[in-house]
Amino acid sequence: MLSEQAVQSPGDAPPPRLSSWQKQQLAGWLFLTPAIAYLLFAFALPIAYNVMLSFEQTSPATVAHFTAPWAGLDNYRFVLHDPTSREAIVHTFEFTAGSLIGQFVIGFALALLFSLRFPGRTIARSLVIVPWLLPLIVTGVMFRFLFQAEGGAVNQVLMNVGLAHHPIQWLNDPHLSMWTILVANIWLGVPFFTLLLYSALQDVPMEVKEAAIIDGAGPWQRLRLVIVPIILPVIEVTVLLGFVFTVKVFDLVIGLTGGGPANSTQLITTWSYNLSFQVFSFGEGAALNNVLLVLALICAPLYLFLSRDSLRRSSGAGA
Amino acid sequence: MTRLQRSRALRWLCTLAAAVALVVILFPVYAIIVGSFESTETLFSGTFYWLPHAATLDNYRTVLEGGSGATQETVAGSQSGNVLTSLIVGLGTVVLALVVAVPAAYALSKYRLRVTLVLVSSLLVAQIVPSIVLATSLFIIFHWIHLLNSYPALIIADGTYAIPFAILVLRAFFFSLPNELMYAARVDGASEWQTFRLIVIPLARSAVITVAVFAFLAGWGDFIFALTILNGTGIQPITLGIYSYLGNYSTDWGAVMASGAVAMVPAGLMLVVAQRYIASGLTAGSVKG
Repeated sequence: MLSEQAVQSPGDAPPPRLSSWQKQQLAGWLFLTPAIAYLLFAFALPIAYNVMLSFEQTSPATVAHFTAPWAGLDNYRFVLHDPTSREAIVHTFEFTAGSLIGQFVIGFALALLFSLRFPGRTIARSLVIVPWLLPLIVTGVMFRFLFQAEGGAVNQVLMNVGLAHHPIQWLNDPHLSMWTILVANIWLGVPFFTLLLYSALQDVPMEVKEAAIIDGAGPWQRLRLVIVPIILPVIEVTVLLGFVFTVKVFDLVIGLTGGGPANSTQLITTWSYNLSFQVFSFGEGAALNNVLLVLALICAPLYLFLSRDSLRRSSGAGA
Repeated sequence: MTRLQRSRALRWLCTLAAAVALVVILFPVYAIIVGSFESTETLFSGTFYWLPHAATLDNYRTVLEGGSGATQETVAGSQSGNVLTSLIVGLGTVVLALVVAVPAAYALSKYRLRVTLVLVSSLLVAQIVPSIVLATSLFIIFHWIHLLNSYPALIIADGTYAIPFAILVLRAFFFSLPNELMYAARVDGASEWQTFRLIVIPLARSAVITVAVFAFLAGWGDFIFALTILNGTGIQPITLGIYSYLGNYSTDWGAVMASGAVAMVPAGLMLVVAQRYIASGLTAGSVKG
């Protein structure tokens, strides 16, 4: 761009065509147009409309009109006082915390295992991502099958090894059902943690590890004092994304427990679905959605901060 | 034990640990495949069989031909139409994601635009937005513009899984292309579009495949938008078909297992055919992006 401008001396008549810089700006914007249009339609509009809905007095009849009478804070008041909504919020926290701990511990252990050299590690590493590829509803029904009281594999194993003496009512006992969705979600999330942490471990320089060995650090010290600090940025992003994936979980729970028994596995997502699409209280569903959205977006600033290098990055082959 | 023997023993111990982990990880998938070949009597016998017990193809017959099947109250009909629907939705999601994401990612990495920072931040935030939030609003919006129960509506909604991810992955890839490539094309008189079309796209093949694989699996596996945007009277993807076999009081396990196994086929295929693209996409999308 600089060279082009330098060539155009002030005396020349301005050419009627666009300058190279303008052309590139125009091309850049044209390349972005579909994406901007898509983001506005599929993200910005629904989010804005969801906020609007949460302040409206909706009914099945108002759906056809796009707008409904103003309700003020009624929908939020409902969400705060509705026992199931409150339970769903508590369950979401329990489910998220439990899942993250399980996924991180198992995922990190497997990542460490896979970074060692042993026969069969390549095939093991490629098969570990299987859970991540399956449709979530399939995972849900799969675990529903495994957790059945009669004829479920989980009970059969527990009884065979003597840990249980009678079939455990995993899916019918409200005190146990949370464990089923936790186990299923940990199973589902482990591949993601394993793969990301594994690739981070690969990036730890060999010399650093060797230096630690020479300095006499044992395996545990090497892990805690050398490796973890180096891969900390990846751990942060991974846990953050794990959090985001987990607060969103819906299909898995619908397929596995449907939110039951007695709402014991009802999460914000499933209860919001119930409010909006089973009883058609879209306003109340939208208010609960906003609670979820705020919860999920709490980590947005942190995510942007952790992605700052990528955000700032620009190779600018253009103007 | 000598040092060498000890390290060899340790290696095999690692193999053993990995094998145990894999058994746990793959067992549910194995169980669904075995279950899909079991008869209804076996599935409801109250015993779990570790190996196929009196294998039969009845469940697949029920699911693919929509016959009355083993139980009388088989609700949903044939799944073969649903498989086709899922294929169309998956491929539609791939096309939409590529059309939107490839040029956008190129612009966000190779042009100096004022909007870049805002847009990339929005994409990162968009990945965080829970689908149920979008689904509730999209249902009413699509209702309003008379698009409920249609392929375009479902594909647009499924794009929300794939597009932010696709742009970020492709953008990370485009950074690796040397700028000189574009300079050279311009010097040779190529327009911006020609540079993009004839030089950039062919070079981006592997990243495009990664994105396409993910977009397909997202469209194929989507359940939440199918559940909300389709009302069950028109098109129905296989995920919704599986859900329809889950009764409140009794579940047609044979049909569930067989349709579940069918729904896992693309994942299996991708694992065999596109293994390296999946692994690279998983890491690139979230850390290096």
